[in-house]
Amino acid sequence: MKLFSRYNRINIGASILVFLAGCLAFYFVLHYVLLRQLDKTLQSEQSEIVQYIKEHNQLPEIVNTSDQKTAFTKTNAPFQETQFATQMVWEEKEQENIWLRVLSFHVAVAGQHYKVTVTKSQEETEYLIQVIVLIAIGMIGVIIIVGLIINRIVLKKLWQPFYNTIHLITQYKLASHQSLVLPDSTIDEFALLNKSLANMAGKIEQEYATLKAFTSNAAHEMQTPLAVIASRAETLMQDDAVLQNHHASIATIEQSVNKLSRLNQSLLLLAKIENHFFELTETILWDELIKQKIEEVAELNSSNQIKTTIDVVPVAAVFNLHLADIIITNLFNNAIRYNVAGGAIDIALTANYLVIGNTSSLPALDIQKIGSRFYRHPQTTQPGNGLGLSIVQQVCAIAGYKLQYSYIDSMHCFKVCFE
Amino acid sequence: MKILIVEDEPSLNKSIADYLGKQQYLCEASSNFADALDKIECYEYDCIVLDIGLPDGNGLQLLQTLKANHKMDGVIIISARNELDDKIKGMELGADDYLTKPFHLPELSVRIAAIIRRKNQQGSNKLSFNEILIDVLAKQVYVHQKNLILTRKEFDLLLYFMVNKNRVLSKNAIASHLWGDDMDMVGNYDFIYTHIKNLRKKLMVAGTPDYLQSVYGMGYKFSGI
Repeated sequence: MKLFSRYNRINIGASILVFLAGCLAFYFVLHYVLLRQLDKTLQSEQSEIVQYIKEHNQLPEIVNTSDQKTAFTKTNAPFQETQFATQMVWEEKEQENIWLRVLSFHVAVAGQHYKVTVTKSQEETEYLIQVIVLIAIGMIGVIIIVGLIINRIVLKKLWQPFYNTIHLITQYKLASHQSLVLPDSTIDEFALLNKSLANMAGKIEQEYATLKAFTSNAAHEMQTPLAVIASRAETLMQDDAVLQNHHASIATIEQSVNKLSRLNQSLLLLAKIENHFFELTETILWDELIKQKIEEVAELNSSNQIKTTIDVVPVAAVFNLHLADIIITNLFNNAIRYNVAGGAIDIALTANYLVIGNTSSLPALDIQKIGSRFYRHPQTTQPGNGLGLSIVQQVCAIAGYKLQYSYIDSMHCFKVCFE
Repeated sequence: MKILIVEDEPSLNKSIADYLGKQQYLCEASSNFADALDKIECYEYDCIVLDIGLPDGNGLQLLQTLKANHKMDGVIIISARNELDDKIKGMELGADDYLTKPFHLPELSVRIAAIIRRKNQQGSNKLSFNEILIDVLAKQVYVHQKNLILTRKEFDLLLYFMVNKNRVLSKNAIASHLWGDDMDMVGNYDFIYTHIKNLRKKLMVAGTPDYLQSVYGMGYKFSGI
């Protein structure tokens, strides 16, 4: 539920209650005031009659109107105080019950007691009250509806900075190196929100940068000890006696150092790609790079009796030479490393995509896991660190390319779509 | 041939000095910026092995000093940072080569040899071992004064072996020398074997003894028996 619909619900409920209570109170007050007004008219009538009797010592002539009637009745009842009463009478003419206000009092004319009743219809008063209350209710309804519409429009406008902020936050990417810039707001709450968010983002960016720097420094710091181990292993190799007895250990040390060093380099490279270290402004020729690479690996392939099929057309692109080389090298390395003796590598390049397919002893790979770091098929026996495809995917991601994998006719096909 | 090794990690410094020391190089070690600066200003070296990250200064500054003093010392940078920027900066400041840690000592040795050959251009572009003579500039090999035709890879291989003669060279080091670090072919050394087999055959047909010995489980060694 939106904040302002919730607010509206409460607000409207309360308004209706208050207005209803107000209407009731208004009705009663109005009723009371008008009745008093009526009573005053009746009282002035009474004083006129009393005055007349005092002056003329006889009953006044009665002029009845449809609105007001006066009646004198002889009575022997004891003297009575002035009384007001409200009565309901059946009106023949209108065929309905009407309310009357009746004032009754006693007068004495020439020793004879009379009961005087002055009756005035309450109909008009009631009608007036009804009209006034109806108008009031109408006004209240209009006020509530107008208020609702205004709230809707105004609140939407007032909350706009909030939605702007939310939009900016969803667009925000930590790795993109663009700091979170939130607009200023004249509303204190939004200004506070934006300021706090900007502060938080700033802190996160700082921590992120520290972490990145730490990772990169850690990887760099590892290179020197690795160099020490590698050089010591090579020194040990030169000692005939040691070599005789420990050649297996030394070879293992050398290979492990090599592996660790490659792993380190790959992780550093990944970090660099993620940090957008490479600018995508160079014009490169994919076909030339591929031909060059094929030449480089030609003897590797021929020693493994791998048949290479090439189908390339000239393709130029604005990219980064180093990154292009990384894509090609990694895909070629995989195609060669996981190939089988007497296998095949198919390379196809068009303006839209580059496909490198190869035979392998491995079955189809898990598409979901292609490109995830350190993923290697469980049956993999060839050495490797499981970072090659992650690097390719990362490069594709920053270039806006797409890396796709398919397994067709026992060929593992890696396709880089340039669009 | 005098070589200055500027590297703050004593163990690595010593390994390099030991390895190069056995190849008729006179090695001097320096483990900090101030000491290295002193040595560079006082003496002439054929080649300086320079680590960029020193505890009391940046190796690149040493390069600048060298250049300012118009010294002709060859410089090879060894750095833990495989950053293109560092590489370009180093080269711009006059370094001759750049090697990223960790590296193979034979690789360092072969690169130093190349730098020194380039620096002394007075006909010392030739390298000889018994009856084998390599003209590095012309990329020609002569055995008993007769030209021996080698492929590019075989030539590289022979040069690598001759610079690192009498040393056990692991297959790993050979592979990364011939194919670079990009070709991550750990574990598959058959293709090296093919090249070595061909080279050995060509040399022996040309009339050399079998200089190329295989060292069991490790690699190869080029030595005059």
